[in-house]
Amino acid sequence: MSKILVCYKWVLDEQDIRVNAADASLDSSRAKYKISDYDKNAIEEAVLLQEGQGATVDAVTFGGDAVKQSLKDLLSRGPDKVFYIADPSADKADGYVTAGVIAAAARKTGPYDLIICGEGSADSYNQQVAPRLAANLGLPSITYVQSLKLEGGRVVATRKLGDCTEVVTVEGPAVVSVVPEINKPRIPSLKQVLAAAKKPAEEIKIADLGLSPKQLTAKTVSLTVKGFVMNRKNILFKEPAQADNVAKLVAALAKEGVC
Amino acid sequence: MSADEKFDAIIIGAGPAGAACAYVLAREGKSVLMVERGVTAGSKNVTGGRLYTYAMEMVEPGLYKRAPLQRKVVREQIMMLGTKSAVTVDYADFEFGEDVPQSYTVLRAPFDEWFAAEAEAKGAMVATGILVDELLEENGKIVGIKAGEDEMYADVVIAADGVNSLIGQKTGLRSDITPHLVGVGVKEIIELPDDVIAARFNLSGDEGAARLALGCTEGTSGGMFFYTNKGSVSLGIVFNPEQAAKRGKKIQEILQDLKMHPAIAPLIEGGTTAEYGAHLVPEVGLSGMPKKLYRDGLVMVGDAAGFGINTGVIIRGIDLAIVSGLAAANAVIEADGAAAVGPLYEKQLEKLSLMPSMRLFAGWHNILEMPRMFSEYPALANDAMRFMFTVDGKVPARMDKAMLQIVRRHVTFGQLLADGWRGYRAL
Ligand SMILES: Cc1cc2nc3c(=O)[nH]c(=O)nc-3n(C[C@H](O)[C@H](O)[C@H](O)COP(=O)(O)OP(=O)(O)OC[C@H]3O[C@@H](n4cnc5c(N)ncnc54)[C@H](O)[C@@H]3O)c2cc1C
Repeated sequence: MSKILVCYKWVLDEQDIRVNAADASLDSSRAKYKISDYDKNAIEEAVLLQEGQGATVDAVTFGGDAVKQSLKDLLSRGPDKVFYIADPSADKADGYVTAGVIAAAARKTGPYDLIICGEGSADSYNQQVAPRLAANLGLPSITYVQSLKLEGGRVVATRKLGDCTEVVTVEGPAVVSVVPEINKPRIPSLKQVLAAAKKPAEEIKIADLGLSPKQLTAKTVSLTVKGFVMNRKNILFKEPAQADNVAKLVAALAKEGVC
Repeated sequence: MSADEKFDAIIIGAGPAGAACAYVLAREGKSVLMVERGVTAGSKNVTGGRLYTYAMEMVEPGLYKRAPLQRKVVREQIMMLGTKSAVTVDYADFEFGEDVPQSYTVLRAPFDEWFAAEAEAKGAMVATGILVDELLEENGKIVGIKAGEDEMYADVVIAADGVNSLIGQKTGLRSDITPHLVGVGVKEIIELPDDVIAARFNLSGDEGAARLALGCTEGTSGGMFFYTNKGSVSLGIVFNPEQAAKRGKKIQEILQDLKMHPAIAPLIEGGTTAEYGAHLVPEVGLSGMPKKLYRDGLVMVGDAAGFGINTGVIIRGIDLAIVSGLAAANAVIEADGAAAVGPLYEKQLEKLSLMPSMRLFAGWHNILEMPRMFSEYPALANDAMRFMFTVDGKVPARMDKAMLQIVRRHVTFGQLLADGWRGYRAL
């Protein structure tokens, strides 16, 4: 039976992040977390393979302390077991560090016949982790995957490339990254949610991965993250007659050069 | 059916009623499953909100200290709005803030999520993002629930699914809601810095204000509420949908008019709306409750059972939901056999003073349903004030005559008598 690893990131829900009007800084103090959207596709694809042809599915995540909150949600989506690396250093990690950490973890928990990632994360969407992970593990990398088959030891994938598609076949194991078109992640059922409570979740300490300080130091340093603010004019027309309001509105729009 | 598929109790809905019930049952060692349709507990819930602390103390002394509560309410305010005027009564009682403070403002999203997590920490299973579609029935007895394809069994099912309880309807205990049984609540959370809130409402530290206003719904039965939180204020209106529809006013228009009122606008000036929501409120108190709150294998708690008290100056729902959840939990713990739960639940409702309170306030909605409460009387109060405070160099009218005129301008003596009688009988 094949063994699949699916990688996911526990990200802040962008809907909850607010932009401070004054300096365009981001306020995420009230933001909740979620499993990164494309990673839900990756998880669903792993589970479809598991259901379709029998496979065991492990999941792995690297993040700050908050990743512990993700385990129940993750397991209710179908994977058999989850490994998590919870370390504050994850906040500063870039694709290089993250891929290194996950590769080291996969060497410990593997070997795997297939590793599935989302094409990019919902927060920074750098599309770095899957190809770097492949390079790190010395495996072929297939990106932009919109349909996927496992035929014996072989991975057959259709890649979405602008206005055409490409079918590639590689001898596994391989690392693939999937696009949202690949499937529609299901909503976990009551029994799945209850079953999740009984599935194993295992912590891997970052210190036990044998990575050097250099390997844990990001190569990309983000200097600032700012929101995009569109300033509203907040003009209120309060004439008693509606027609006057309309006239004033048209005049104001004309002055702005929008009509 | 395997052992994993059978629980001592399944609770439908993780609002305050469900969470309180789950918390107590789990703490007492019962196997409990609480199912919530929202992605997280609280994500679907709308409340003013203020929570009267006694209810949390009944669940467990000191529990409220762990809860993400907002400000302890020491200022109780009533406002009567005229078109461009307002009479405001501000009752500051600092004893309300001492020892165990009498009440706190709350935001439901963090509160409900916290309460569900507390129940989970005590050992309850909490499944969110799942809608319960059906009840399972065998020989006239409720034996479990169905969510999607999944069936789950329990000795007792507790319907804590809120005001528009589908589960209650499915049991036949509740009929479908009708417009006169409920109010519609619309609410916004407006963010403001804490120092601004403190200055505008005359508060210090973690003190809070709760304000209710009449006369803001243009003669439609209903009122406005205003609560100060940490870093935000909640404001909204609760009104009768039937009357509002007759007047052809849209919900948003009524709330927008209110926010533009010259006595309200400065309170929220510069704030940003962070959340907007609408929800039903059980309005008619005791007479809106189902005749029976249980069936073999099922009890109803909280809004699902119609627990709610609205006196015009006090809105109570969350506290009653919590106490009814506690009553159901106590009944399940005491009962030997599922059939005993329902009758024991009714006894608990008496013992915990819930039904006696509902009975005491049974007639109050008659007062609140008088349209004059929301238009003529607030206007009258404002006119009386205007008369008393007007100085324009002319000779004012004599006080007694002027007052009489003001009263006549708004109501006839017949109406006054009728309302007075109706009010007296309602008490
Ligand atoms: C605008 C407004 C202002 C209010 N202000 C106050 C106030 O200041 N103070 C106060 O004490 N009360 C106030 N109330 C009343 C108070 O909100 C309710 O009385 C209280 O929420 C009732 O709690 P509950 O647990 O019974 O129901 P709810 O809080 O409604 O919880 C029911 C839960 O069940 C879930 N659910 C429903 N159906 C299903 C299903 N089929 N399957 C799974 N889950 C389901 C819902 O998602 C919800 O989480 C206000 C209400 C409104 C609308």
